[in-house]
Amino acid sequence: MCTQHRKSFLISIAACFILAGSAFGQGELRFCLRSEPKTFEPLKVEDEASATIRYLTGGVLVRMNRQTQALEPELAQSWKVSKDGKQIIFKLRSGISFSDGTPFSAEDVAYTVQQLMDPALHSPTGDAFRSGPGNVETKIISPTQISITFPAPVAGLDHQFDQVAIMSAHSPKKEMAVLGPFMVDDYKPGASLLLKRNPNYWKTDEQGRHLPYIDSIRLDIQPNRDVEMLRFKRNELDLINTLDSEYFDKLGAISPQLVHDAGPSLDSEQMWFNEVAKSPLPAYKKAWFRSEAFRRAISEAINREDLSRVVFRGHAQPAVGPVSPANKFWFNAKLKPESYSPDTALKALQAEGFRMENGTLKDKDGNAVVFSIITNSGNKYRERMATMIQDDLQKIGVHVNVVTLDFPSLIERMTQSFDYEAILLGLTNVGLDPNEQMNVWLSSSDNHQWNPSEKAPETAWEAEIDKLMREQASSADPKKRKEAFDRVQEIVFEEAPFIYLVNRNALSAVAANVQGASPVILVPQTYWNVERISLK
Amino acid sequence: MRIGRATTWRGAACAVLLLVAGVSLAANWIAPEGYAKQYREAADAPPSHAHWLGTDEIGRDRFARVLYGTRISLLLAPAAALLSTLMAALIGGLSGYLGGAWSRAAMAVTDLFLSLPWLFLLITVRAVLPLNVSPLFSVLVTFLILGLLGWTSAARVLCATSATLRDSDFVRQARASGIGAVRLFWMHVLPNLKPVLYAQFWISIPAFILSEANLGILGLGVAEPMPSWGSLLKELEGLVSVGEEPWKLVPLILLAIVVTSFQFVLARQEEAAA
Amino acid sequence: MHSAKPTDVLLSARVSVRYGEKPPVLHDVEVSIRRGEVFGLIGQSGSGKSTLAMTILGLLDRKKSQVEGTIQFEGSNLLQLRERELRELRGCKIALVLQSPLSSLNPALKIRTQLKEAWRAHASGSASDCDAAIRAAMESVSLPASDEFLKKHPSQMSVGQAQRVLIAMATLHRPALLLADEATSALDVITQAEILTLFRQLNRTTGMSILYISHDLASVAGICDRIAILHQGTIVEVGPTGEVMANPRHEYTQKLMAAIPQIMRPIATATAASL
Repeated sequence: MCTQHRKSFLISIAACFILAGSAFGQGELRFCLRSEPKTFEPLKVEDEASATIRYLTGGVLVRMNRQTQALEPELAQSWKVSKDGKQIIFKLRSGISFSDGTPFSAEDVAYTVQQLMDPALHSPTGDAFRSGPGNVETKIISPTQISITFPAPVAGLDHQFDQVAIMSAHSPKKEMAVLGPFMVDDYKPGASLLLKRNPNYWKTDEQGRHLPYIDSIRLDIQPNRDVEMLRFKRNELDLINTLDSEYFDKLGAISPQLVHDAGPSLDSEQMWFNEVAKSPLPAYKKAWFRSEAFRRAISEAINREDLSRVVFRGHAQPAVGPVSPANKFWFNAKLKPESYSPDTALKALQAEGFRMENGTLKDKDGNAVVFSIITNSGNKYRERMATMIQDDLQKIGVHVNVVTLDFPSLIERMTQSFDYEAILLGLTNVGLDPNEQMNVWLSSSDNHQWNPSEKAPETAWEAEIDKLMREQASSADPKKRKEAFDRVQEIVFEEAPFIYLVNRNALSAVAANVQGASPVILVPQTYWNVERISLK
Repeated sequence: MRIGRATTWRGAACAVLLLVAGVSLAANWIAPEGYAKQYREAADAPPSHAHWLGTDEIGRDRFARVLYGTRISLLLAPAAALLSTLMAALIGGLSGYLGGAWSRAAMAVTDLFLSLPWLFLLITVRAVLPLNVSPLFSVLVTFLILGLLGWTSAARVLCATSATLRDSDFVRQARASGIGAVRLFWMHVLPNLKPVLYAQFWISIPAFILSEANLGILGLGVAEPMPSWGSLLKELEGLVSVGEEPWKLVPLILLAIVVTSFQFVLARQEEAAA
Repeated sequence: MHSAKPTDVLLSARVSVRYGEKPPVLHDVEVSIRRGEVFGLIGQSGSGKSTLAMTILGLLDRKKSQVEGTIQFEGSNLLQLRERELRELRGCKIALVLQSPLSSLNPALKIRTQLKEAWRAHASGSASDCDAAIRAAMESVSLPASDEFLKKHPSQMSVGQAQRVLIAMATLHRPALLLADEATSALDVITQAEILTLFRQLNRTTGMSILYISHDLASVAGICDRIAILHQGTIVEVGPTGEVMANPRHEYTQKLMAAIPQIMRPIATATAASL
């Protein structure tokens, strides 16, 4: 009853606006947060929902354009990174105020950076800047100029400031005084969050109109994707990020203009074998999994085209390695996805002493090649991929058992007991910089999944990855860094510690009344240019 | 007339069950390609001449999967239901009949069973099982677990019922006829628990079929590529547009038909017993 | 009774029964039943009549009740027998017919099954032996021994038929003593009369003694040789039916007599006198 009334009310309001011919400075944009935001303090952001709020409300010095992936000036008009990668000097815009009217100056930047690097605050955003021991130095050169010096070189230093929302050093409203296009107006925990247009936002469009165009954003906290979809269909929501490929097709079948496929995203789906020396697996299985030839052969026997086409209905691309082709700068374009070739795979295995007997592959000691792939239950795409891989590998006589486990059990096996053979999981990449993957590639890292926390690299290629990753991290020269990371991608491709399967496409839906949205692959997909979005 | 009509219904129910069982047993001949073959060029296809019920998300013939899944579930769910019914009869019925300390002990065990954190125990079960088990073994273990766990609520009812029966005139009469304790339980108490036992049995069947599917989240239940009704029903989760793809509902309809038929067939027994 | 000597005692009991700490239900009750006689035990509900029957059969819950005294039956004290020995007696030497025939038959079983069970409890023999015994018992209570009838469930019979089935079941092994606990109270007057006649008839033809327990003096008077009046757990009066009724000494007996409708009294006394 109520919603019915409200709906018709909204429709009549919308009708009024159309009649008035006023397209700008009006209306409310509505979409879902998939979980409760854990914090409104921009430096403490860890979860996706809080990051969304930070993106919408926080003002940053520089921002990576989510479409061009280039860094653009925001609160800083210009900036300069020193040769050694330790220091950055920002030239700030003047005449800008926080949402509560407090003027913005270099003091605020200094305050924010000190907070960011304060060990007591444990800012997750700050982690990216903590490349070595020592304190950060901030020097206010003038109200519009500041120099920040870190104790050790920070890779991609300027890019890292995309995540740092500047806080006011003086405002009594603390973190609620913001520099971004919107500010938090009302929060109903568990239900919704209302953001209002920041009246002091500094930006104007080419015609001199104040941005953002829209008045407010309503964020409903809704973890259920089915409900989200339903509400979108009922015109109660305007945007859906990371749309499910099934929904994409269903919605697209009815109204193709509403759905957007921005191409492969940064996220990858991958599987890997357990190479942990002390795992409880039998020695012969450890020998298979630790053999590069075995891993490569399995990789070659997987039909990635089919995975993309069938499981993701074409909304995915065969993956090459740890960097998605969507990551324009860092992707090693020389690499091509492993081509599907069961015959080559079988020949390679036979060269290693494996042989086919009555449709079953056996190793040189006569052990049938059987292993299990575990994946987290409830993820139908992973379950389907595992089932298709099971079918693919059967063609080279390899018998796979697919086991779905609840997430905690899976993580326990993956990180504690090492009682698994192969795992199929996905990796979500938010940032573009290889430093974000540091914890995966260093052999001493806990997150070095196929063989975590090695005391010393157990193989020569792992040692080489360690060296290259450290090299790129300590260099400020983008070209050198790129060379090093290209080589890492090549090694990973050749050694296949991770067998990369697909990069899912970034799918989204945008309601017909939303103007100016141009969904991209990078987070936050549909509303990255929120200040320029308007409603019809 | 009334009896005649009821008999017709029961006959029809029996015929349906036999037909379903027969067809599923003949799955090897009806669908010789098996349940695992992936027609990847025709994934998620609507019904056609080649695939009567269309194909699933990775292109497997839904009709074949329904046939083979029926075989698994129609065999194992009633078996597990029987197991749990027998356990309920023994634990609940016998303890109620023996009364006193026996009944208190049995109810304590029942309460314990009802209050145990099953999720964690099942996770432990999965942790103890090796990862490399055949899909069939996995589904067998799952139904065995369901059968071993599913008796508790029925046991409570049975305990109370058989305690009442113990004090009933006909049991007293039978005891006065010199009938021994075991025989008394078997012939005079147990047959009167039949309505509860039948209810337990046929309620358990669909419950177990669905539970088997739900245990999939813990890595129990049927494993890919083997189908069961549970795994087929899981396909319906989050189905946005049932109206547009009614053929996907076939496993659900089949489950409903089979369970209803079971009910009709068993209702006959129950009526005869009453 | 005609063939038996009046002094030939089948069962002689002298018992007190109490449940827990409450006052005794039966207080030093003395009953002796002669071979071949129909002995009536009259008392209000709650006077402990049924407890006596259960005590004789050893069916009282041993944990909840304390029984003192002796019950001599065919040379042994029933109170000292073990459960197995008692089981041998029940249904074989001493049988029971309860008040409500429909609830005393197992609703889940065909009557043939129930009769078979009762037969099996004390006999091992072929199926045809069993059939013959069932047939004979059915005939003795004037019920059809047809398959059609034996296949019935209790719910498919009239109350009178059900009571006859119960009696057939109780007399299957030709017990020496039949305990009839309010066996006709739930029946309508005509059926009641029929069943009473049946009891009398069985008593005459088989010489089986009957302990007939009832609250209804009038209905009992017709078939009992002797009666005892039970009041508040003690026997207040005992003697040949005619004597007791003609000359009630105890106040309670007098009240009972007064309660019998006037129209029935001459009949009752007449019947009693004719014995």
